[in-house]
Amino acid sequence: MNKETKTYRKGEIPGIIAINTRECKGCDACKRFCPTGAITGMFGATHRVDADLCISCGQCLVNCPFGAPYETVDPVEQVAAKLADKRTTVVGIIAPAVRVAIGEPFGMPVGSLVTGKMYSAMKKAGFVILDNNFAADLTIMEEGTEFIQRARHALFGEKAEHGGEIGPLPQFTSCCPAWVRFVETNYPALIPNLSSAKSPQQMAGAVAKTYGAAQVFKAAPESVYTVGIMPCTAKKFEASRPEFQSAWHFMKEKGGAASSAPYPDIDAVLTTRDLARLLKKMKINLAAENDAEGGTLFAEYTGAGTIFGNTGGVMEAALRTAYVVLTGTPLARLEFEAVRGLKGVKSADVTLRDQKYGKDVTVKVAVVHDIRANIRPIVEEVMAGRSPYHFIEVMNCPGGCINGGGQPICDTGSSWIGRVLPSFAWS
Amino acid sequence: MSKNDPSHEFMESPFSLSRREFIAIGGVIIALLALPAVWVRSALINRNHHIQARTKGLYRDDATAKIRLSHENQAVMRLYRDFAGKPLSPVSEELLHTKYINRMKALS
Amino acid sequence: MTESSFILKHPLRVRVFHYILAASFLTLAVTGIMLYFKLLAEPAMNTAMQVHVVAGVVMTLDALAFFFLAFDRVVLFTKRTFTFSGNDIKWFAILGGYPQKILLHKKVDVPPMGKYNAGQKLFGICVLVGGTLLILSGWVLWALPHAVPHGTASMIGSIHLYASWVLILFLFVHLFLGIYMWDDFKAMFVDGRIPYEDAAEKAPLWVKNELQRLS
Repeated sequence: MNKETKTYRKGEIPGIIAINTRECKGCDACKRFCPTGAITGMFGATHRVDADLCISCGQCLVNCPFGAPYETVDPVEQVAAKLADKRTTVVGIIAPAVRVAIGEPFGMPVGSLVTGKMYSAMKKAGFVILDNNFAADLTIMEEGTEFIQRARHALFGEKAEHGGEIGPLPQFTSCCPAWVRFVETNYPALIPNLSSAKSPQQMAGAVAKTYGAAQVFKAAPESVYTVGIMPCTAKKFEASRPEFQSAWHFMKEKGGAASSAPYPDIDAVLTTRDLARLLKKMKINLAAENDAEGGTLFAEYTGAGTIFGNTGGVMEAALRTAYVVLTGTPLARLEFEAVRGLKGVKSADVTLRDQKYGKDVTVKVAVVHDIRANIRPIVEEVMAGRSPYHFIEVMNCPGGCINGGGQPICDTGSSWIGRVLPSFAWS
Repeated sequence: MSKNDPSHEFMESPFSLSRREFIAIGGVIIALLALPAVWVRSALINRNHHIQARTKGLYRDDATAKIRLSHENQAVMRLYRDFAGKPLSPVSEELLHTKYINRMKALS
Repeated sequence: MTESSFILKHPLRVRVFHYILAASFLTLAVTGIMLYFKLLAEPAMNTAMQVHVVAGVVMTLDALAFFFLAFDRVVLFTKRTFTFSGNDIKWFAILGGYPQKILLHKKVDVPPMGKYNAGQKLFGICVLVGGTLLILSGWVLWALPHAVPHGTASMIGSIHLYASWVLILFLFVHLFLGIYMWDDFKAMFVDGRIPYEDAAEKAPLWVKNELQRLS
């Protein structure tokens, strides 16, 4: 990281992923997973990551056969120190995809759902639980409402309640920090199409240090230490974005924290791998734990929140709520099979009656994952104004967050989802 | 040394290998060569198993959840009632929404 | 010696296979070592890798051609290298008498051997198994490192590495003894034939049991 980086602001971590040149064999496997061509170095020579192009998704890291890429940020020690400090309320913000992967480093079968054991192990370690699924539900409320607003604006000319500007359609989801940075560095013209809703992690951080500190943890916001536990390396970058000090700004305006130094909404981000290391360091065997409840208001979550970790999950959760809000009638069937599965681009039409305007509308949605392989045609369509869709979910990693760059590395797996074609690396 | 024509007087007997030996050994060679091919093929076929297993885990979490709709999450409703008001309210806009920046300018 | 008869030890197709194998394997070994130790600057590393790939393709085609055009020789070679007897153990006990001969200029009695002595059989097995593994693993590492699960790919990488070390170490012994036994060297690289007396001394069982006189 000695080169000067250009696409980062002050305070942001420039590049979460680097390559250990001693381990790199120059085999070019990582280049096949990189969505932005950020990996340079000729075939046969050791490779490097161009931090300006890198979106920190970590797909190279989980797919390198030789384990050469690594994370430059390791907050395990720091979090362990905060856990030991009894004056600090350490809030563990657990992403949906963590609960189906954290069992693996403790010897459990791949895909084991271990929510209860995870709660128990984390409480033993000293965390207070804020299940990020709760924040995912909150995200649906904000992002879904925003979508309804954009759709009614586009279809019926509805104005914003507070006179603000309403973004264009299609609306892109904004939960995936790698995708957000991809837009910012590659297609900035599409920034208005990104939902303005924060990702669940950042919502959780902002809520924990305002409403949470006052009502749930009964502690000063300065003594609340928020730890995102994410299947994702890009979340480490996201947490360092300077605008995400919104809780501090909010409290300052309220006069609550006038004298305090600025604090971030999220203090540290552990990947699923990091959490496993932390627990092992504290001699906690997650696999041997009994199931426990989350124990706080923030541990309450719904099925819609938990499927955020799968490709298509955000869309499905949003459709469930948007349908009920728009039509005023309950859904006969909650599962939207069309947005499930590993197809590169999935799309669905949902015809419903907007009760407010008394008109039938057909909402066209698309779900894209593995942006390396699938995003360009979709984005080009939107740029050209030819996109048939109203709402597009994008997740960078193949399969969604459950296969994120921060997940335990599964030796029997590859993120290569499409057809197997040989690639004869040359230069 | 005499240079006869032909240049050599002896060669291996064509019967160094019996028919049965040829078939047996040849079969073993081909079978052993097929093993790594089968191994790599099965690795290729099962390469996304971990993605599918984790995906299934989360869908099971959804299918067994008591509440499956975000707007029925009582904790979320309580947060709106006690604190944020409603989605897209000024408090929501300040704490739950954000802005993005154009990073391409720096690259060009 | 005035008059000597000759035995055709290596038919033409074997010699051609061996020419190409020798050239490509030497290239692969040299570039492989450069790549493993990362001895060069970036563009030269790339060139080394490209040469490695080309030589690998040449060696694969050579092996495939020999496998299909001379399958009988492959089977015969396999049979000979995998057939052991008590004589082979005795041979190993004195290492074929070579150290005594080379270092002490002393001749010791050597158990009678077939076409290949025990050491050559061991080398032959390593070439058969190791060569096959090297070729297969090399192709996976070149063409499929993205699609094969990374655990499998990394294991295949280790196989490629260890097989190449074994063969490179054997290569030194093979080169030394091959040149030391000049008649054999000539037979493999020039005309394929070896003097009868020489063969009768080194491979008495072969000469006794497996040869026929040309009329």
